[in-house]
Amino acid sequence: MNRQDARSVGELLLDADFTTRQVLMDVTGEDAPAMLRTWGEVVQSASELWATLPEPVRGATSPIDGVTMRRLESMSQGMHRTQVRQGWPGDGPADERLLHVAETLTRAADLIGRRGGHIRPTDTAVRADLDAARMRIMHTLYVGAHGVGVAARQHVADVELSTRGKSSREGRGVPRGQDAINRLAAFEQLAGAYVGNRFARAAQGEQVRGPYGTERLQQALIGWDIQAHRTLAAAPTAANLLLASRTQAGIATAAGAILHAGARTGHVDTDAYEHRLAPTVDATQVAWTHVASRWAEMTSPADRTDLDLVHAAGELRAAVREVAHDKTTWARPDVMAGRVDLGEAAQHLQQALSAAVDVACVIRDVAAQDTNLTGPARAMSHRADADIDFTDPRQRGEDVVWVTPGDVYANRTVAIPEPVRAGLVDATDTLVQTAGNAMSAAACLDRVTQDRPPGSGQEPTTSRGRRHEGPTLMAQEVPRAARP
Amino acid sequence: MTNQTIDRDAWVTLAAIAQLLHHAAVRAWAQAETEGPRSHLHLLGLGIHTASCQAVAMLPADADLEGQPPAQDDVAQLLRSAEELTRSIPVLDHTAGISPLVVAICDLVREATP
Repeated sequence: MNRQDARSVGELLLDADFTTRQVLMDVTGEDAPAMLRTWGEVVQSASELWATLPEPVRGATSPIDGVTMRRLESMSQGMHRTQVRQGWPGDGPADERLLHVAETLTRAADLIGRRGGHIRPTDTAVRADLDAARMRIMHTLYVGAHGVGVAARQHVADVELSTRGKSSREGRGVPRGQDAINRLAAFEQLAGAYVGNRFARAAQGEQVRGPYGTERLQQALIGWDIQAHRTLAAAPTAANLLLASRTQAGIATAAGAILHAGARTGHVDTDAYEHRLAPTVDATQVAWTHVASRWAEMTSPADRTDLDLVHAAGELRAAVREVAHDKTTWARPDVMAGRVDLGEAAQHLQQALSAAVDVACVIRDVAAQDTNLTGPARAMSHRADADIDFTDPRQRGEDVVWVTPGDVYANRTVAIPEPVRAGLVDATDTLVQTAGNAMSAAACLDRVTQDRPPGSGQEPTTSRGRRHEGPTLMAQEVPRAARP
Repeated sequence: MTNQTIDRDAWVTLAAIAQLLHHAAVRAWAQAETEGPRSHLHLLGLGIHTASCQAVAMLPADADLEGQPPAQDDVAQLLRSAEELTRSIPVLDHTAGISPLVVAICDLVREATP
């Protein structure tokens, strides 16, 4: 500790907060053992600092505030006891950055203990100051817990990959790491409830831990489909349609990547993938992206999006990342196959590609029939001119005013001009067509599932041996099993 | 310790964060379209867009987000700039939601930084 440290308590709290953010931005799986060793010290220091803050005047703030801190400390102590009992992560170096956070919080507690004994929280400004300090401490724990959780998840994924096929002794870090992940998730959720308040739900996609792997992917895809229908039925605004289309494009992108991995690892028929799935899934991705860019033209950055839809999109993205991402890009096919049963993932994607057709139809109906569609005047004027040039070159040069100069000058929100609607309908017609093609192509994934012997579990439903068995559903009607 | 009260400056900062995130999402999607339908940047753009939606949801209804787009084009740099701006926003009841937004942006910085 620097004896010359002349920073105020507020500055020390900011230092602790910013350090945990830096940790979160840089963290890797290799950091996990040291971070898990040090996390308890951070929580203990935070708790001690919390205890030095003058008690709120009775009735001035909720007594549950102190309870939250005590519960967090208790959870941290429980984690520590488990680590000692399991002998993991064991002795070793501490994480220097988290140690710095713990020392900074301790320094703040010392400062209050030595110089703040006279503070009486009767004044409104002082009370606000103390509330701000408590929020900053809790925020730091929330961000820090998320960072340690990210490290632990990455660490577990690395261990799973490196110990695949080896003895259970070598892979025992996986369940121990999983236990730490679950406890950190609970910790983060509790701290998040304190600081997140009204908007916490919209951000929980990455944080709330439920099922893993393909089960999480399945739930996220179903949850997204339900929420997209709900939101588009209740509020088919351009902002909601933009997010819906971008998320559907993301589903098609993820489907392409996961099915590619499935084909490479023998979980998906290579021939069907190359000749039917890949082209149609890519085509529908392009169509969704095109439609999304149309809706984007009709929005302004300040337009609000339904937070339930935002939440569903966030959870879907998190579920895809868990299966298919490795740091900044796609995971290798063998890595994806090591995480989940790609045959099972392909089934869930097949259902999602089917459901996408209905979402596309809903969006086409909005494009064709919703008389309330509006957009910023300048963008609508440009788009109308561009669409006329494209669809009817004979009108090029004709002096048709689709948006009044006054509206363009002020960039008012205007009803979409007829050429813009016509272009939108064309784009959504193409979308419905390509989504239908992808659904038909993906039907072969259903057949693979039906052909799988009962109880095959994680075994690849290799299509290498099945590749030449006969035509797929694209060319032949085969009864499909009813799906739940 | 300083007395942190939410004021107009915080909303202006939050609006700037929303603008940066909006621009970062647009840039990520533009790069994704150049790379093709399998680009992982489609999903990065989606993540940035949802963070932008979170930021907009915290703003007053009459917030103005029009204006010149940021000069930067690098997605990771735009995200870092957004995170730096969040540092000046107090964590208070009035700004509830800033903590999840901070976590979301830090996650995106890590995801966007090779």
